[in-house]
Amino acid sequence: MVEYDRSHSPEGASTAAPRICIVGVGGAGSNVVDRITLDRIVDATLVCAHTDVRVLGHSMAPVKIQLGAELMKGIGAGGDPDLGREAALFSREQIRQAIENHDIIFISAGLGGGTGSGAAPVIAEIAKNTNALVLVVATMPFSFEGRRRLGQAEEALELLQKRADALVLFENNRMGELILPKDGIQKAFNQADQLIAQSLRAISTITTTPGLVKLGLDDLTSALANANGRCLFGFGEARGQNRGSEALKKALKSPLIDSGRLLHQTKNLLVHVAGGESLTLVEVEGVMKQLGRHVPDQTHILFGLGVDAKLGDAVAVTLISSLGLNQLNAHAAAAPPSEMLQPRAELPVSVAPAPAPLIPAPAPAPAPKREPAPKKAPAHSQYAPPPQLESAPDLLFKAEEFISVPAVGEAFPLSSLHAEAAAPALPKELPVVPQSFMIEEPPALEIPAAPVITPAPVIAPAPETARIPVRTPIAKELADAARSPKESTLAAVVARSVTLQTEAAPAPQDDLISFDEPEEAATTISAATAVLTRTKPTAESQQTFSLGEEDRGRFKDTEPSIVQGEDLDVPTWMRLKKKLRR
Amino acid sequence: MAKSTIYAGLEIGTHKICVVVGEAKRDGAIKILGVGQAPSRGVRKGEIVDFEKVQTCVNDALVRAEDRSDVMIRNVFLGVTGAHIESLNNRGRHRLPDDQTEIAEDDVEEAKEIARSVSIPQSNVFLHSVTRQYIVDGQEAVRQPIGREGRVLEADYHIIHGVRGRVQNAIRCVREIPLEVEDVVFNPVAAAQVVLTREAKMQGALMIDFGAGTCDYVLYEDGMITASGCVPLGGDHITNDVAMALQIPNGRAERLKVEEGSVLYEDVAEGEMLSIEDDTGLVLGEIERAFLFEVMNLRTKEILTQVRVRVEDHLGRLGAGIYLTGGVSMMKGVDAVAREVFGIKVTRAGSAPVSGITATFENPQYSAPIGLIRYAQILDSEKPFLSPLKRLGRRMQELLSSITL
Repeated sequence: MVEYDRSHSPEGASTAAPRICIVGVGGAGSNVVDRITLDRIVDATLVCAHTDVRVLGHSMAPVKIQLGAELMKGIGAGGDPDLGREAALFSREQIRQAIENHDIIFISAGLGGGTGSGAAPVIAEIAKNTNALVLVVATMPFSFEGRRRLGQAEEALELLQKRADALVLFENNRMGELILPKDGIQKAFNQADQLIAQSLRAISTITTTPGLVKLGLDDLTSALANANGRCLFGFGEARGQNRGSEALKKALKSPLIDSGRLLHQTKNLLVHVAGGESLTLVEVEGVMKQLGRHVPDQTHILFGLGVDAKLGDAVAVTLISSLGLNQLNAHAAAAPPSEMLQPRAELPVSVAPAPAPLIPAPAPAPAPKREPAPKKAPAHSQYAPPPQLESAPDLLFKAEEFISVPAVGEAFPLSSLHAEAAAPALPKELPVVPQSFMIEEPPALEIPAAPVITPAPVIAPAPETARIPVRTPIAKELADAARSPKESTLAAVVARSVTLQTEAAPAPQDDLISFDEPEEAATTISAATAVLTRTKPTAESQQTFSLGEEDRGRFKDTEPSIVQGEDLDVPTWMRLKKKLRR
Repeated sequence: MAKSTIYAGLEIGTHKICVVVGEAKRDGAIKILGVGQAPSRGVRKGEIVDFEKVQTCVNDALVRAEDRSDVMIRNVFLGVTGAHIESLNNRGRHRLPDDQTEIAEDDVEEAKEIARSVSIPQSNVFLHSVTRQYIVDGQEAVRQPIGREGRVLEADYHIIHGVRGRVQNAIRCVREIPLEVEDVVFNPVAAAQVVLTREAKMQGALMIDFGAGTCDYVLYEDGMITASGCVPLGGDHITNDVAMALQIPNGRAERLKVEEGSVLYEDVAEGEMLSIEDDTGLVLGEIERAFLFEVMNLRTKEILTQVRVRVEDHLGRLGAGIYLTGGVSMMKGVDAVAREVFGIKVTRAGSAPVSGITATFENPQYSAPIGLIRYAQILDSEKPFLSPLKRLGRRMQELLSSITL
């Protein structure tokens, strides 16, 4: 390792322990500062800066700054970064006093809102002027928060990039996705805060404590250097036997690293291993070897090693890297976690039909499928008037206040879409449907339950007879196709198993959607397809709620064998069928 | 001292429990004296879930084996498997002291020690640590390093480990019968000893023991064990898929699978039907033969794909191809599917010829239990020869150390 020249680095200026200051700006920032205060993990001056007095009142940070007290009168910035900036400028003296005389200043903010995006750059500027090292830890908004907030966040990011010495950026989407759906929202946010707090602590220890193999700020910035990069961070600490590998395992478990999978694409990776006096070289070698399996050969590994008596007999492993947003999303799309956080799963649906999709991940819904929606609309007119339908996506982006309103409204276009989808959308087309569509279904099904079924007898004769003849030939073709080429084997299984179901249990679930009844006397194939249509909504709604218990047959009491999110105990054909429906 | 030793191997499988009694001659030949078998209850995916049921079944098998072989069985080699078993390769590097140029026994021990000090989860226990090779100053594939000149000695190890509690449960279950467990062996490692010839191991071969509960595999490269593991999917899953697809009871599905089943559905004539009966013999209905085969095919392909995923890195170096053994390997067309999945030569194989009542037991179902005998023999032959006096001394030592603990 190249000797690190200390005299030129700002952090080396002080011989004693560097004085650290952590400033939390805005709501997200103050949460992180609260978490740090509670955990007492970093020896630092903690400052909380916010425009909203209520938040400040709850904050546990020892130093609190009310931004723009005269201007804002203690009310939040309301999502307007300009107001946030103004407020911070008003209170700049106060800020300067609070953060003066520190060697390193961390600024933690959630970008996208008013105070976070507006005030953080101002505070960074002030911090820079105090000749301190400025590190910014920021989070990007959830994609469901809309494009406008994303825009604000990006603007603020640009400003921060100019002022900060290093920028650690976390993607909220990523954090949300990987937390189990059954975990409360409270826990999800707590975990996110904790992760950020840990990263703060790790960065401060890595860059400040002297090490055997020293890592400096330059290493940190090169690890984070990535166009539009998002930070991947993992931290693990363990003691006892195998402490090295345990610590690494914990570090890899971090949701941001996705058990090492995300590391496959990184160009630079910073690894820091710290331990007490008892740390042995073999352990370090073991950790690095184990890590090597997750990292491609060409990755530049920035390795740091520190001995810290405070750690006692524990070993701590820190991994920091970054990945471009596109790569990150590509990865998320490639392996879509079925256990997505509900709020996130719900809203992208309303985003999807927008002219330019916000999230690159889901493929845009196929055009032919959306067309029937307006046609069908009159049937539901009292619930969802067409004009509102069209403007709903726009409203979503125009003002944040509307977020909740269109979200509810969106259920209607979807429901009509779904009712249509059940009919013209055949298995072959279904894979194109963005998978968020599937997840959205339960609420959609519940709300329109009444409107769909009650008008059915009225509309039924006309559209239904028209629809079925279209379906039967395709079903036949489906069964025929299944004979020869390999891709359609799945289709064949579906078709055949359906036939079988009809024979085994005639007319099983017609109570669900009644308008298929006129087809009861049709040929076997059309009967089979009718079951297909009928069972489809049921099965789908089950998919989200059931834990797969019924599906596993004799293996229901055993430990599940889960590979890539699939329970392999569930019959293969059943799983393929589900995939096919998507 | 007796010229030959009698060993007993016990395999608690998901489908059957099997005790094999064999005589290992000094010249290395094995003679099977008797086999006792009983259908298995209380085992899921290769692991014991119901102690009492398993013990009853083991007793049945044991009595049968004792009857046939006329040997009283006290000690057994126990074959285990389960999803918890994992393997890894590790290398221990030892630099000789500066004043020494010749590798001595202590250096080998030291290198082994370092190689074995690999980090496995705390709850896990080593099942096997097999020396793959020694490397002296970068020269690979050294079998016997003692006495060689060198500066750096590396020991290359293949380590198989599993969750301590689960392995111990199997041992405890057997001990309560009561039977003494001489050694615990990972099933495919045992099976490979009789399924793979030395030549196949040298050329590189993957042995897949496709059982009812699990699909275990061992991969050899250049005569060295390189990868091993267990996919917790097996013939039971095929049965379960069939049962759920046709909505028939599991027992019926199992019989259908064994009697009529195949995994090749493309050649089946369209419209060829198969009548299904329920447990009482009443005809439930007819199904298309091709449909049944397709359900089985999908699952079989998936299981083999899971094995493939785990050995992906080594597939290019298998000169001898794949050896399929275990009960499911008797299924019609499974070799064709394996060939499709792996793209290399596939051989269905049982145990290599051994003397005794083998004619019945070249059946692939018995690869693992017969392998246990072979494994026991190899293990014994590798043990350094100790004079009776030394042996006594060692035993005393063990006794004393157990008391002080």
